[in-house]
Amino acid sequence: MDIDLSAEDLEFKQEVRDFFEENQMKPGEDYFSWRLEWFKKAREKGNWDVPKWPEKFGGPGWTPTQHYIWEQETAKATIPFDLPFGLGMLAPILMSYGTEEQRERFLPDIRDRKVNWCQGYSEPGAGSDLANLKTKAVLSEDGTHYVVNGSKIWTTLAHMADWIFCLTRTDDSGIKQQGITFLLFPMKQEGIEVKPIITLGGSHTVNTVHFTDVKVPVENRVGEEGKGWTYAKGLLEHERTGLAGLSRSLVALEKLKDNAQSITRGNGTLMDDSGYKSKIAELEIDLMATEYTELRSLASASAGEELGPESSILKLKGTEIQQRIQKLTVEASGVFASAWGDKPVGPHFSKGGMAGYLNSRYYTIYGGASEVQKDVIAKNVLGLTRSKTK
Amino acid sequence: MNFELSEEQKMIQQSVERFVQENYDLPTRVKLSGDGVGFSKEYWNSMAELGWLGLPFSEDDGGFGGNQIDVIVIMEQFGRGLVLEPYLSSVVMAGGAIKRGGSDKLKQEFLSSLIEGSKQLSFGYAELQSRFDLDDVATTAKKEGDTYVINGQKSMVLNAESADAIVVSVRTDGAQVDKNGISLFLVDADSKGVEMESFPTVDGLRASEISFENVEVDSSRLIGPINEGFGILQEATNDAILALCAEAVGAMEVLYKDTVEYTQQREQFDHPLSDFQVLQHRMVDMFMEYEQSKSMLLRATLETVQDPIAAQKTIHGLKYLVGKSGIFVGENAVQLHGGMGVTEELRVGHYFKRLIVIDSILGNTDFHLHKFTNFD
Repeated sequence: MDIDLSAEDLEFKQEVRDFFEENQMKPGEDYFSWRLEWFKKAREKGNWDVPKWPEKFGGPGWTPTQHYIWEQETAKATIPFDLPFGLGMLAPILMSYGTEEQRERFLPDIRDRKVNWCQGYSEPGAGSDLANLKTKAVLSEDGTHYVVNGSKIWTTLAHMADWIFCLTRTDDSGIKQQGITFLLFPMKQEGIEVKPIITLGGSHTVNTVHFTDVKVPVENRVGEEGKGWTYAKGLLEHERTGLAGLSRSLVALEKLKDNAQSITRGNGTLMDDSGYKSKIAELEIDLMATEYTELRSLASASAGEELGPESSILKLKGTEIQQRIQKLTVEASGVFASAWGDKPVGPHFSKGGMAGYLNSRYYTIYGGASEVQKDVIAKNVLGLTRSKTK
Repeated sequence: MNFELSEEQKMIQQSVERFVQENYDLPTRVKLSGDGVGFSKEYWNSMAELGWLGLPFSEDDGGFGGNQIDVIVIMEQFGRGLVLEPYLSSVVMAGGAIKRGGSDKLKQEFLSSLIEGSKQLSFGYAELQSRFDLDDVATTAKKEGDTYVINGQKSMVLNAESADAIVVSVRTDGAQVDKNGISLFLVDADSKGVEMESFPTVDGLRASEISFENVEVDSSRLIGPINEGFGILQEATNDAILALCAEAVGAMEVLYKDTVEYTQQREQFDHPLSDFQVLQHRMVDMFMEYEQSKSMLLRATLETVQDPIAAQKTIHGLKYLVGKSGIFVGENAVQLHGGMGVTEELRVGHYFKRLIVIDSILGNTDFHLHKFTNFD
């Protein structure tokens, strides 16, 4: 057991740094063309555009250590944004359960960041109890397509998505986990209506999506009809690991310290306030421990063990940490925390801080609320099942 | 970078685990704890025979060339059985100081007999007024010819009454609170002027208050350079923090698992207690505290092996986290065992007490959070 980086690892680390350095956005450069160019170069570098994809499907085949180095370096550098939906959620499902034809059809566009995907999971009546979904998909008599009717809610970036991967009900005669079918279809078509939901921070990220007689060809079904829940569960696991966001939190924590340092208190700054800096320290220690929980989980994954209970711990701990950073940013704003007009008032981070804090409240709700995560750990790790009432 | 134990380490882990299983049920522990020096000399000799006492010493010193990783492997298993033998005070602390700063003669005389189990050592670093500050040392040593004369007292010295010699931090220069001017001496327990008041601690171990009145020690008993003992003191106590935290992780594992098992058996309101979601979630919290502590333990240990100076901040973080988590897991294990949890009959209370004590040794949660917070 050791944490020494081997000569190869050190070389890799330098290579990653050099790559980030060489491919920074130049002044005046258009963000979106820089972004696409960046991913193209990352691909040429050795499939660095899809770090988490398995080698078999075109990924770089890194060791856990290399993944760790990458995480750490991306946290420090400015690299283009990426959305998890296609790349980190749908792609693994297609790799595991899709047909060869589906993989050829969808994976390249996901990889090239050409097609934006959104996730059609939650419904007005199916939140934490996701399997309770009602959106109906009925197979046409000639067996060529499904007709989808129903509603999805909290659909992140549905208003900017080209396609949706969607859980639908094809059979409601059995228990609710059965009869769920996993469908893929384009968002820009007749019968799909997207309505914005404005969240507490005043932003538009999530939506409701209504389907009226949307036709989906059968070849867009992933896996077998009625087996969608099994695929979705695997996907949730991918989602949960991705949601810990530890490398982002490392950066956010440093920024938080800088922000607190910019607030004067007496002869010093807010970072000299013992109460405030204790909270920062507690946060930092939790983050340090969680980083190692992630490393342990990476290590067991590479040893060929299934992605296990650690992924649930990571989502719980990681999202809590994100929220605490946001909350401490609001605290740092002091009296200016509530200013909400268009004109900036007080410290530069105060309005963004409040908006960020309010938006962060959903971190412990999406991707399986923290309470659901605890149910999952209770059942799968501790072996606690609830017996029937006597 | 890798998180796998070596084959040798796995073997040690298994053999300690087996030893604890076979020798450390609760009645045995209670009996040993109340007998004489508070542990089994026979077990101590077995540990020597199995090579555990020599693990963290170099081959030149007669040991097996292990490091802090080997120590946490052993201590985690010890924590699962609440082992009483003085591994911490003797091997990790006193042995840790001697191996770092002792002269060849001192190492030859004491490390080899420590490793073979014939001598046992202890370490006095705390004083009445010092709380957790290792650099607050009022006990003095004054040079008189070839000897030093020690005056003062040391508090809460673990397993001192059975020790043959005790490493003592003394002030040879500077103000009472000062990292410079601290020296370490190895003092024979039967030296003239050493008075010991020994007593049990709440977790079933034993400690002593020791006073030194004009105690003469030969200058050859100096560990490390004169006035510059603080570095060695800190490195040895850092190793001890890792060891203690490993023990705590082992104890936490037993507690969360015992609680899961107990709530599945105990029925109330026509249900096993484990049916209730509020209790399930509490046990998940206990499990997570255990896992996070284990992660931080690995981090601090691996960083220490790589660079002990650079690891200092992480060690503060570790002791804080383990102190907090240990008490959380302990209190909740007792709570979820209900009335049975507060009896001496079940083992959970004993593990709980050990975790409280671990928080109070070498700096509690508040102390280390403060150190972490103000670390530069």
